[in-house]
Amino acid sequence: MSQTPQTFAPVESSDPMVVPKRVAMVRPDTRPTIRRREEKWVMTFPHLIIREVIMFMLVVIGLAVVALLFNAPLEGLANPLETPNPSKAPWYFLGLQELLHYFPPVVAGVVIPGLVVVALVVIPYARINLVAGPLWSGDRKRLTTGITAVTGVLVILFSTFQCWAIVVPSLIVAAAMFLARSEGSGGSFRRFLALVTLPEWVMTWFVLVAAILTIIGTFFRGPGWSLVWPWNMYPPA
Amino acid sequence: MSSLTLSTLTAWVRNSAVYRSIIRHGVADTNRNRSLVIFENLFLHVHPVKVREKTLKFTHTFWLGGITMVATFVLFATGILLMFYYHPSVPQAYRDMKELMFVVDNGVFYRNMHRWAAHLMVLGAMLHMLRVFYHRAYRPPRQFNWVVGVVLLLITLLLSYTGYLLPWDQLAFWGVSVGTNMAKEAPLIGKPLRFLLLGGNIVSENALLRFYVLHCVVLPAVLMLFISVHIWRIRKDGGVQGPPEKDPGEEVEP
Amino acid sequence: MPLRRLFAITSILFFVVLAISPLKNALRPYRSIQREYARLGAARAKSQKVAEAYQARPVSIQQIWLPGLQNRVDRCMTCHLGAQDETMAGAPGVYRLHSRSFHTPKDFDRFGCTSCHGGQGLATLEEDAHGMAENAGTPMTPLPFIESGCGRCHLGEQVNGAAILTRGRMLMEKAGCFACHLVKGHEGFRSEAPPLESVALKTGGEALKRWLKDPKGLDGNASMPNFRLSDQDIEALTHFIFNTAPSKALADKVREAGAEKAGDAINGKKIFAEARCISCHTVEGKGNGSAPELSKVASRATQPWMLAYLRDPHAFNPRTRMPQFGFSAADTRDVVAYMVAEFKDFDAPPGMLDPVHVNQTLAEKGQKLFRLLGCTACHAASGEPDRIGPELNRIGDKRAASLDFGKRKDLKHTLPTWLQAKLEDPRSLGTGLKMPVYGLSPTDTQAVVTALLAYGAEPVPAQYQPVPAVRASLVPGGTVGALFDRYRCLSCHQIGDKGGDISTAPLTAEGSKVKKDWVIDYLVMSYTIRPILTDRMPVFRMTKAEATILAEAFETFYLDPSIPEDPFAGQPATSRDPIEGRHIFDTLGCKACHILGEKGGYFGPPLNEAGRRLKPGWTYTWLKGPQKWRADVRCPNYGLTDADALKLTSFLQTQVQKPAALKTAKGGGR
Repeated sequence: MSQTPQTFAPVESSDPMVVPKRVAMVRPDTRPTIRRREEKWVMTFPHLIIREVIMFMLVVIGLAVVALLFNAPLEGLANPLETPNPSKAPWYFLGLQELLHYFPPVVAGVVIPGLVVVALVVIPYARINLVAGPLWSGDRKRLTTGITAVTGVLVILFSTFQCWAIVVPSLIVAAAMFLARSEGSGGSFRRFLALVTLPEWVMTWFVLVAAILTIIGTFFRGPGWSLVWPWNMYPPA
Repeated sequence: MSSLTLSTLTAWVRNSAVYRSIIRHGVADTNRNRSLVIFENLFLHVHPVKVREKTLKFTHTFWLGGITMVATFVLFATGILLMFYYHPSVPQAYRDMKELMFVVDNGVFYRNMHRWAAHLMVLGAMLHMLRVFYHRAYRPPRQFNWVVGVVLLLITLLLSYTGYLLPWDQLAFWGVSVGTNMAKEAPLIGKPLRFLLLGGNIVSENALLRFYVLHCVVLPAVLMLFISVHIWRIRKDGGVQGPPEKDPGEEVEP
Repeated sequence: MPLRRLFAITSILFFVVLAISPLKNALRPYRSIQREYARLGAARAKSQKVAEAYQARPVSIQQIWLPGLQNRVDRCMTCHLGAQDETMAGAPGVYRLHSRSFHTPKDFDRFGCTSCHGGQGLATLEEDAHGMAENAGTPMTPLPFIESGCGRCHLGEQVNGAAILTRGRMLMEKAGCFACHLVKGHEGFRSEAPPLESVALKTGGEALKRWLKDPKGLDGNASMPNFRLSDQDIEALTHFIFNTAPSKALADKVREAGAEKAGDAINGKKIFAEARCISCHTVEGKGNGSAPELSKVASRATQPWMLAYLRDPHAFNPRTRMPQFGFSAADTRDVVAYMVAEFKDFDAPPGMLDPVHVNQTLAEKGQKLFRLLGCTACHAASGEPDRIGPELNRIGDKRAASLDFGKRKDLKHTLPTWLQAKLEDPRSLGTGLKMPVYGLSPTDTQAVVTALLAYGAEPVPAQYQPVPAVRASLVPGGTVGALFDRYRCLSCHQIGDKGGDISTAPLTAEGSKVKKDWVIDYLVMSYTIRPILTDRMPVFRMTKAEATILAEAFETFYLDPSIPEDPFAGQPATSRDPIEGRHIFDTLGCKACHILGEKGGYFGPPLNEAGRRLKPGWTYTWLKGPQKWRADVRCPNYGLTDADALKLTSFLQTQVQKPAALKTAKGGGR
């Protein structure tokens, strides 16, 4: 969406009453990014505001269309005597519920979500997340053994619980990490992979695992939490 | 007497004392007035007067935070409307759902909007967090805002979860039963926490009332508080942060 | 400029999209239906004033709110406006008047619509209200099963005006559904199937195998369903049954009976007819049909067993409905001789009744099978039956989504269809299902489904349950109780809310109804009271002493306080005028149904002996309202005045002729 000079003509003037200047007060203990090269700035009104309004309307239109086409689910009156099989939590908890299938409840219900929240909170305070160098920029030998060891431990650990939904994505991510090792050669995808940092690999692994668990829990779990096809979800009891 | 045209009418409105007492600047056709639009408006003054042009690009942030915010607005609006018809009691709560669907004007529309907007809010918040992570926008000075964001995600999940029980249908009852049974497993605090949350040992009318109060009063208030902090910090930390600069040389740290 | 254009387009879209829902709201179908109703009503109205009233009707949602009946809100009349409106008789479709029945259309405000029809009363769209939408909760009950609505409030066995429901409830009792399925109010049900121990004494290996293969094929009256057993399973079960040792007492009885000499078949035939065996049994299809078909019984049961059984049926099967007759030893020998000679399957191969040489491995397999198939639910010797079926208490409100249609792709996913399929061919709904096949006719299936659908999830509040028309059953213990048990009075007669339906004469108020001397005579030598009925009281060969005990019990226990002992007390002497009574008798045309003297109809009982048989209080009360006793009584209620009823009573009391049968009676010799 390019701006158009006819309507929102930029006003060039040195008078601060006409064109306000940006003044930055930088104290040493704050760290706002300062750019060497001054960029192009535009007035918030109308450039940003019009986009915000359009975005607002588009989202509401989208929601309204969905709301007109699809009714929110409403099943029968809650009945503690009639347990639906399977009984499922809301979709964003189905990854956790899927984990319950593999691990003892205290691990799946408390330890893992707790660890995830803690991990998310500490992200900006961990040095490794701030360095942001490509994965293979460090000691390659140590990295190779490290990745192999961690992947090995994870695969063995989750294999003992027969949790293939975690083992398989772990192996895929590890393979992709090694694929990124051979830099230079290969197409643009490989060059892109080579730039990925370690935290990004870990987050990708987490997102992949969470997504797969949630999808399995949502679409592929039937009565007694058995694996079924989505179209056989409720072969009623 | 000049004929009454649209332009004369707008001019008359704009010059009236009432209009001028509310909108204190002229037509936004000069940069001064455009700045005043932002300054003089409680809702717009969260924005700076000027923004970097590249932040306007869609791929800069994918508008994910904004979309989540719009979903929140929709949820507040429809949620308040739904509260007019809802009783947090058994089995009236379920009957209210049916009344909404069957006889309340636009009731089914509001309920659908609320439901789908809730899904959008959860999904939007998650994707927003991933976008921030991959753009490394959590780096100083934005560490704290990242933490606020994580808290907001948790509040969003709690809001969605407490709202899930309110229709009091089978889906709600068993979804919440499954979820709170997971909480039970936490060592020491699990069972008391569950008892506190449900107001009993099973999902019952007490749980419905507690979830209702949390969903309609406590959590929205906390959400508003944290959203305010979140947006205020965006301003304080130098605006929205898009993808990391290609050439690191462009950025310096003092 | 693209951004401005985008802004313009989204703005328009924004308002258009948000306007759709209010528009849909304004165009709800019920609005046009109500306008059409007003137009139709005005056109059909008889007066201008009424027509104007129709046209002035505001368009609005109509509802019946019943806070006392599960807080029901029925908005059906938002569209079905004509349901109560006589003007709409014969109107098309949704506007028409509700058909007439006991409660409709006058009782709409008491019961609403959904209490009978099901569906979602709150809804105002057809799809929601009729429950066609997914997850609708309660879909409407299809009309063939509509009487299930009656059964939600009317919990008794007999529901007047609901013949299908009543039949369904009777069939469920008869088929023994409650043996496997727990249902509130039927917890005490015990099947009358014979305990397993006596079967090996009764029959032979080949006969048993044929029976297990298809019980109803051998005996149309059999209540045992078809378990669709494989030949191997039948073999194993047979070995198990023959491996089950009978008690020594029973085995001795049969052995002793086997040692006796054969009786006189010609005398046996006479006794068989006299004792009126076919009041319960059938012979070649003739008879009541509530007990086994006897025409081929001698090929299924051994002669010694038949003899021993006839002498003491309750020792072999304590729960059988068969009474114990007071036959002499020679009489039973003769009857059995007759049966062995006549009631035989002449096509059957020899050796049908040979016992089985038990193979222990097969017997053990059979024992497992016996338990697995739930046979003990009916055939347990004693104790709590092993109910292997799910309880049915809330079945009528089970959501279709929670039903397993299994392999049946041809069925509509509704509860009535599922129940129907389950009754017609239970095993077709999935593998490993145990329910046997009952072979019900389509109308019987409909009746049972109706009865099942009446078991709602929520009990109807007490003020909506009708006061039971019959009193609770009272059967005294001691000597009287033993006699009741011996002669199994309750197999045919009703006492209070219990008992069989073979007899049309309940015993609940017998003491107020009949005179003691007559009862004694009748019990000793019963005869036909109503010639039109085929099922008659058997001749039990009761002793006079026993009959007297029973007659005294009637006088003591089975009284109705609403029947006066002496209806003439305190009435003017003119009310005792039998000649006036005779006149009333002729005027009303009682002879159309009743025989008096030589002539009369056959529908009601002959009245020649009315004065000998009936107490005046009963006669008087009956005449004042025959339907008080049984709703299906055909005797019309003439609305007689007290004086006329008394005159008629006094006339009937003069009719004391002894029936021919009694004149020749030898009395109860045993």
